[in-house]
Amino acid sequence: KMAIRELKVCLLGDTGVGKSSIVCRFVQDHFDHNISPTIGASFLTKTMPCGNELHKFLIWDTAGQERFHSLAPMYYRGSAAAVIVYDITKLDSFHTLKKWVKELKEHGPEDIVVAIAGNKNDLGDIREVPMKEAKEFAESIAAIFIETSARNAVNVEELFQKISKQIPPLENPEGDSNESFKLTRQPAPSTRRCC
Amino acid sequence: PPGTQESPAETNQSPGETNHSPPEPHESLAETHESEPKLCGFLLKQGGPLKAWKLRWFTYEDKKNQLFYYRTPQDVMPLGRIELCSATFTYPLKAEKGTFHIKTPERTFVLKAVTQELMLYWLQQLQVKRWQHRQMTTCPDSPSNNNSSSTAGENTTAESHHFLPLLKSPLGLVERKTQAEGIMVTLCRVQELVWILHKALEASQLEKRTCAEFLAETGEQERLELLRHRERQAADLRGQLEEVKAEAEVLRKGLAQREAQLSELQDDIRMLTEKNKAKQEVRTAGGQVASRILWFLTASHPQDDIEAYKTQNKFLNSEIYQLTGLWRTSSEQEKSLMMKCAFLEASNCQVESQYLSVLRQLQETKSLDPDQREAVQKMVEDALKRELKSVVKLRMARDHDEYGFKIIPDYEVEDMKLLAKIQALEIRSHNLLHQESIECPLLDRWAQYLAGRSDDDLCASPELKGLLRVGVPQEYRQRVWSWMVRARTRTIREHHPQCYQQLCEKSRTSAHPASRQIELDLHRTLTTNQHFCSPSSPALQQLRRILLAFSWRNPAIGYCQGLNRLAAIALLILQSEEDAFWCLVAVVEAIMPQDYYTKSLVASQADQRVLKDFLAEKLPRLAAHFDSHSIDVSLVTFNWFLVVFVESLPSDILLPLWDAFLYEGTKVIFRYALALFKYKEDDILKIHDSVEIYQYLRFFTKTISDGRRLIAIAFGDMNPFPRRLLRNRRALHLDRLQGELRELEEQQKEFVTERAERKDKELDTVASEDDEEL
Repeated sequence: KMAIRELKVCLLGDTGVGKSSIVCRFVQDHFDHNISPTIGASFLTKTMPCGNELHKFLIWDTAGQERFHSLAPMYYRGSAAAVIVYDITKLDSFHTLKKWVKELKEHGPEDIVVAIAGNKNDLGDIREVPMKEAKEFAESIAAIFIETSARNAVNVEELFQKISKQIPPLENPEGDSNESFKLTRQPAPSTRRCC
Repeated sequence: PPGTQESPAETNQSPGETNHSPPEPHESLAETHESEPKLCGFLLKQGGPLKAWKLRWFTYEDKKNQLFYYRTPQDVMPLGRIELCSATFTYPLKAEKGTFHIKTPERTFVLKAVTQELMLYWLQQLQVKRWQHRQMTTCPDSPSNNNSSSTAGENTTAESHHFLPLLKSPLGLVERKTQAEGIMVTLCRVQELVWILHKALEASQLEKRTCAEFLAETGEQERLELLRHRERQAADLRGQLEEVKAEAEVLRKGLAQREAQLSELQDDIRMLTEKNKAKQEVRTAGGQVASRILWFLTASHPQDDIEAYKTQNKFLNSEIYQLTGLWRTSSEQEKSLMMKCAFLEASNCQVESQYLSVLRQLQETKSLDPDQREAVQKMVEDALKRELKSVVKLRMARDHDEYGFKIIPDYEVEDMKLLAKIQALEIRSHNLLHQESIECPLLDRWAQYLAGRSDDDLCASPELKGLLRVGVPQEYRQRVWSWMVRARTRTIREHHPQCYQQLCEKSRTSAHPASRQIELDLHRTLTTNQHFCSPSSPALQQLRRILLAFSWRNPAIGYCQGLNRLAAIALLILQSEEDAFWCLVAVVEAIMPQDYYTKSLVASQADQRVLKDFLAEKLPRLAAHFDSHSIDVSLVTFNWFLVVFVESLPSDILLPLWDAFLYEGTKVIFRYALALFKYKEDDILKIHDSVEIYQYLRFFTKTISDGRRLIAIAFGDMNPFPRRLLRNRRALHLDRLQGELRELEEQQKEFVTERAERKDKELDTVASEDDEEL
């Protein structure tokens, strides 16, 4: 029996870039054009095999509008990975992404895995963010980079697979296999704002 | 079968003979049952592509309520049959006399009886038969046969006034009449004969008498005398004849004169009429039409027509009465069946949900064999595959409520499908069983309260508060909401009566920075609601105007995600764009604390801490459970508060919540939030995995089936809930939060300066100042 590891992942990014759609595609393999905007956050899980382990993603999907950013620490606190999503057809959303990267570096968990997802890959003809630029940026911060299309189910699985691979394997995989090992970090006892 | 029915002897006239002359069908009332004569007889049936009239023998069959028709009365196999139970009868006026129609859902039979009277007889009989059959079938399960037949009898007598006064076997009448006429004719003939015979007898008697007289005279002299006498008499008579002739000549001449005069007069008349005609021709078209109508009326025997219409009208009225009666019984039956069905379905839902719960418990039992475990797993999978939809369809129930919300919410939870299904079944069975019993008294209470009050009369009172906590019936919700909204926005609206129109005008002419976000969210608002799911829906245009107007009205907020849902609810209930706008203003500016929707949502965040305090106080066990599993409820409850539960609760719970919320304010949100946890406290306490708890918390609000119980907990179990306590806690947490925010800002500044000093190369400063928006 394979060990189950729980990985807390949060999705960040500008409003309307398709964070919820990516999660919806990944978890339910379903796409809805008019998925309700996330208020606060929503929580979903999905288990995926990785090597000889099972990774259970605990996905916190957050609200995109700027004024909800103040809530984000609640969600990225203790996360093993953060997926920052931008919309390849909206340059603004790429700028917002950079702000998120900055915030994560300043306030996020130290060894958080950052993945950058350029969503709406199916709308290539109205692209505003060149793939090269985004890729170079990702490399500059040592982040995973992938362009996705939640609508056409392109690279969504791959995104999470890449994250899985970046998570360091358990040091002792021979440990008690019945117990699921939690990789979620306990919140640091700091004076950081929390709710 | 009716085909074997022996035709009575008097119908010996075979149809072949009637081919040339108009056939004379015979109505025979053969006595098969002692009580009721069998309904059968010849009728003409129109059929075939040529619509030719064919003579057919019709018999009515009681058991099946069908009318069979045969080529001849002796035939065994019918040519066809007419189902009467769903047939309607009518007869056209314009067609040949005696024509009537039997309309079944499949086709229309055109039949013809010899006379109008006979036709009416048939129609009435058919109506009676149809009614009787219906009575028999609607109460077939009466305890005893006697009873049922007697009730059926009563019913028919009770309903008999709906029929036309029955014609008593008109054919008998018709037959007797023709017989009588025959008798009269022969009688007349006999009388004539008798009269002729009398005359002959008289003449012969006269002759005999003269002969006798002549023979009686004894002498020749007397006989001669007698002869002469007779001669004289003859001469006299001849003279008289001559005179009469002359007289006749005179009269004939006079007649000829008269005739000449008459012909002159007729010429005069002709001239006059010609003149008259000429005059008439000169008259206007109107006059011509009038004269034509006059002519038509006089020519077409209006009296007859009126009579005919009257009879037809009477007949059709009786048909309508009957059909209404039939319809009423059907709908009563349907209603009782629906109720039975609802009950059965509810119990089915309960059984199924219990079954699923058992399965769920089995699933969690550790002591099962692998085989058993596999079997249980299989059963679970099968149970989940069974679509809940198929159950829903059984009762032709609505999928959406009056406001366009889905009655059974969608559960998108992957891992807890079983639980979700159990909940859905419970909601369904609860709805089926309790809906009507609760709504009616509530409706009565509201009707009593609102009766005779104008909208301005509504005033705050403990009575109104109590009523609002239980919820406003859909019939009154719009009125009560618009009153509450008006009460909360009165001063602003009195100052600027044209406020909304001006704001709309402003948003038309200039673009608000928030409009991008508004556009983005517009099509993502209440997508499961019927009124918002279509991109072309007018509700979306109204929503856009409301949100844009609001963003101009309140620059501190502009637009915050979630306001779209608040406005959408307002729009759905108030059905008026402007009222919905003011409702949004009332909620955001009058009811919610300041800074609930502004830049960093501080007041919202403060409320989450207040909620945690209340949770620890009112539900200490649950709070401890959450603590021990490091559950931060605010991750789940934050949006409950921000959008006042829109899209978190099913509409039948959400709207009563809003009823109370619009009146009492934010306290209601706290009461409900705590009540929701209390309602499912036991279930939550059973879960010992933090991920599972989060998963459960994410969707459990949509599984609340008993709204009344929730209300009872919110406004009963959660007491006392002093307003002052809430206010103080809010102030405290808001203060702390702002302190933390300041601290954080300072930290941030420190961090930036520290990094600048260290000159770390790893992070570029791509996020330049010009990226800062708004």
